[in-house]
Amino acid sequence: MKSPDPVEPRAESEATGLPGFRTWTKVYLFVLGSFALWVGLLIALTMTFS
Amino acid sequence: MNPLDFIVLIGSMLGIAAYGMWRTRGRRDLNAYLKGAGNTPWFAIGLSVMATQASAITFLSTPGQGYAGGLGFVQIYFGLPVALIIIAIFFLPLFRRLNVYTAYEYLGRRFDGKTRLLGAGLFLIQRGLGAGLTIYAPAIVLSSVFHWPLDLTIISSGVLVIIYTVAGGNDAVTVTQKYQIGVIFAGMFIAFGLLLSKLPAGLSFGDSLALAGGFHKLEAVNFSSSLHERYTIWSGLLGGTFLMLSYFGTDQSQVQRYLSGSSLRESRLGLMFNAVCKIPMQFGILFLGVMMFVFYQFEPPPLFFNDTSRQYLAEHGASERLQALETNFNQTHAAARQQLEQWLTARHNGDAAGAQAAFAAATTAYAQGEQIHAAAAKALSAANPHATTNEADYVFISFILHYLPHGIIGLLVAAFFAAALSSKAAELTALGSSTTVDLYRHLKTGATDGECLRASKWFTALWGVVAIGFALYAHLVENLIQAVNILGSIFYGVMLGIFVVAFFLRRVGGTAVFWAAVMAQALVFALYFNLTISYLWYPLIGCTACVFLSLVLQAGLGRPKQTNASAT
Repeated sequence: MKSPDPVEPRAESEATGLPGFRTWTKVYLFVLGSFALWVGLLIALTMTFS
Repeated sequence: MNPLDFIVLIGSMLGIAAYGMWRTRGRRDLNAYLKGAGNTPWFAIGLSVMATQASAITFLSTPGQGYAGGLGFVQIYFGLPVALIIIAIFFLPLFRRLNVYTAYEYLGRRFDGKTRLLGAGLFLIQRGLGAGLTIYAPAIVLSSVFHWPLDLTIISSGVLVIIYTVAGGNDAVTVTQKYQIGVIFAGMFIAFGLLLSKLPAGLSFGDSLALAGGFHKLEAVNFSSSLHERYTIWSGLLGGTFLMLSYFGTDQSQVQRYLSGSSLRESRLGLMFNAVCKIPMQFGILFLGVMMFVFYQFEPPPLFFNDTSRQYLAEHGASERLQALETNFNQTHAAARQQLEQWLTARHNGDAAGAQAAFAAATTAYAQGEQIHAAAAKALSAANPHATTNEADYVFISFILHYLPHGIIGLLVAAFFAAALSSKAAELTALGSSTTVDLYRHLKTGATDGECLRASKWFTALWGVVAIGFALYAHLVENLIQAVNILGSIFYGVMLGIFVVAFFLRRVGGTAVFWAAVMAQALVFALYFNLTISYLWYPLIGCTACVFLSLVLQAGLGRPKQTNASAT
């Protein structure tokens, strides 16, 4: 079976290609921020209507 | 179902399957068959990962969970964003750098052959069983819709997915999933819109939320610290992270999806797409169920959403009892509805005291209705001990069949079918790949690419047959989605533990982690059958036990003979 081993560039230094998110750290922070926002909204929904 | 529904259903399902086969015609290369052509963009990977996780069970059963239990189930997904970030940082670059076909191939390189076989074995057992449940869910829907024999429905839907998965391999799965999820979202959005349009004219969206909240259906976050409560923010954040880390990081049906990306960037962005979209998506599906609950406060719901239960009682000497229960149930529903209408009027007139009194009376009447429902379930269990009394899986399909127009019914049934086929196809191709790469090549050293390709097709078909066989004999304890999650929770923790040791504990060798995994899995089985804690905690327990026992055993064994440094 073929097992070519293309070498990936260093994972964290690879460009994200996303406008406004030049590093992967910023992408991860955005993901965590949107998660925190959703949890906050769900807590607010729970508090408001319980 | 009328001819229009059939045209929509059959046209969309066969059309997508045929398109997938046509797009992937002529795949003769093993690498392309198992991994895809390597040109999949992030958006397609994101949809593919989403479609693989979201089976028919998700769309069939989750609205029923929202109807019966409210939004609390969404907490199970609270661990998903963190888990996907961990996979994007640690798992994905290593899998891609080593250019592995399966996640368990990595274990072979890091440890040894027996640990690789153990990882693959755990995956094959739990995913093989889970695949049976995946195919069972849409079969219930279709047997209910068409009044076909359940067995025939299971076999026909199973055969369709086997044909295009075997023919086109990994790329056929990705190509078809893109369109299948389009059908799913179209169906769910239209169903939600039509449901809102069918709410009473005087009931605003705010009134609907107040009504649902009054019946405790909007309690999305539970801060209880009890280990016995199934869905809490803590079990979601801690247990859910381990469950999602195990599923996305070590389950070949997901690993194969994101490894098909054309680059590390595409694979990562596909995962981040899910990290952002999954919680809103699950919230939306649960919220659909909550709005169905509001709808059924003003429209009389059936005593049994599963019509088969009603028929059974009627035909087995309990028709008078059934009639009495139905009469009482309808009377209490009418009383509750009357009180809710008074509540609405008082609320709109700013009469807070009147609104409170009317709502209290409505909840009392509703509770009486629930008691009648419980009595009916008890009567059903007495008449048929094997009958399914959990109605959650039948709420949404019952609503679709009774309240949505033709054409849309066909689209929704197509959506269930699409969801079933998309996750089923990913499971089959992963099972076939793992059996070929992790087992077949070990037994037949020196197998050529052509032999492995043929073997992979045969194994994929064989797993499809096994899944059909399991589905034919599946008896569900709770509702479908919970059964799948519980099954995963029992096996996933130990699997994750093996990978955590592989990634982060360089001084632990294959022998130590192998026996640690065996002992940890035995511990999880023992705890599952003796404790009543939420199943979300088992991945955490299994993973922790495996890591801890690996360290202890390695300390007893002394330094490992050798460790593949490039695999850590």
